[in-house]
Amino acid sequence: MISRPRRKILADLFAKYMYYRMRKTFNRLQVVNKFEPRSGHSVLLLCNHFGWWDGLWANYLAYWHLDRKSYIMMQEDHLQARMWLSHCGAFSINRSSREMITSLQHAAGLLDDHENVVIVFPQGELISNHTTEIKVEKGIERLIKNIKGPCQIVYNAVLVEYFESLKPSAYFHLYDCGLAGEVSFDELTTRINAFHQQALKAQLNVEH
Amino acid sequence: MMYPKENALVHWIFSSYVKWLVGKTFNKFNYNNIDVDAGKSVLLVANHFSFWDGLILFLINKRLWKKKFHVMILKETAVHSSILRYAGAFSVSKNSREMLQSLNYAAGLLQNPDNLVLMFPQGKLYSNFVDHVNFNKGIMRLIEKAEGKFRLVFAATFIQYLKHKKPSVTVYFKNEPGNYAGRSIKELQDNYQQHYQAAKQLETEIEI
Repeated sequence: MISRPRRKILADLFAKYMYYRMRKTFNRLQVVNKFEPRSGHSVLLLCNHFGWWDGLWANYLAYWHLDRKSYIMMQEDHLQARMWLSHCGAFSINRSSREMITSLQHAAGLLDDHENVVIVFPQGELISNHTTEIKVEKGIERLIKNIKGPCQIVYNAVLVEYFESLKPSAYFHLYDCGLAGEVSFDELTTRINAFHQQALKAQLNVEH
Repeated sequence: MMYPKENALVHWIFSSYVKWLVGKTFNKFNYNNIDVDAGKSVLLVANHFSFWDGLILFLINKRLWKKKFHVMILKETAVHSSILRYAGAFSVSKNSREMLQSLNYAAGLLQNPDNLVLMFPQGKLYSNFVDHVNFNKGIMRLIEKAEGKFRLVFAATFIQYLKHKKPSVTVYFKNEPGNYAGRSIKELQDNYQQHYQAAKQLETEIEI
């Protein structure tokens, strides 16, 4: 597993630079529903995974909306290609090795601190943005079981649209899935899928 | 009503600009190749979720069918982006007497086998995540007026990000048999819906 200490100055610089890049690339970055994370709780941010920008969007949410120190779980080969990200809170997971358990335990350990948010893509691979079903990998169950501190699980459905602009807009639908330890894995999967359906419906009426 | 403007130089500049812009903005630009009858004009019916729809179909027509492109756009758009009129755009004002004039003009264009008329029967921009495509009534008047002198083609367009920084666009075309004269709008809408749903399913199952 690749993991290095998060350097605040680099993570902050990266978040601010990416905000500048995103403002140039996107027409809107909009959180559709008002969302406040519970105070005194860390956040496990589960996001749908359909494109290159996903991690950057999640980092944007963590920094500008959830006000927590962000850590992100990345596929090992992807992180190896961009090792400098490990200074900004990225750590690796290799799904085909036994080290996977170490990565999940590391993520759970980070969530014991209420100042942290850990970004995870529960689908484990890129799936079309038009999918209506969100597959949640079993590893999430193990991750949640290992969390000891108070932790809120949040599902983030990102949907991209264009409407009148030539630039795309990213719409974030954030939902509270409950607290770690209080919601079972099956219940979590059901809630995520119900929230995703809700997001697809809400998307039809977003402001543009 | 605002008619298209003819100017070969402006048309060439516009066409080159759109080609450059689409190439710069999108990673891939996919469509299925369908043949249209050279002896008949084309009525192209498409979903409308962005400003890109018309530009993308404009380029595909240039590559595939090489017909003279025309598109029905809202009067506000024709005023705001008057350059589109050099690419064959003519205006329509919903809920006004001018609407009939626009539909009659479009029906007139379809009498010439060299022409292609693009129409967005949804009448305004909708999300790319809609499940049901609703048509406004105007299209049936156009079909009745055009007296079967055209070939009907359905187009369903989707944009996704996948593993690249730039998005990819896919257009699914279908040659629709018959011209729907004397039939109901529901039949037309249902058959378009079937094509749209099948295209969306393919887009959801896309290999990343």
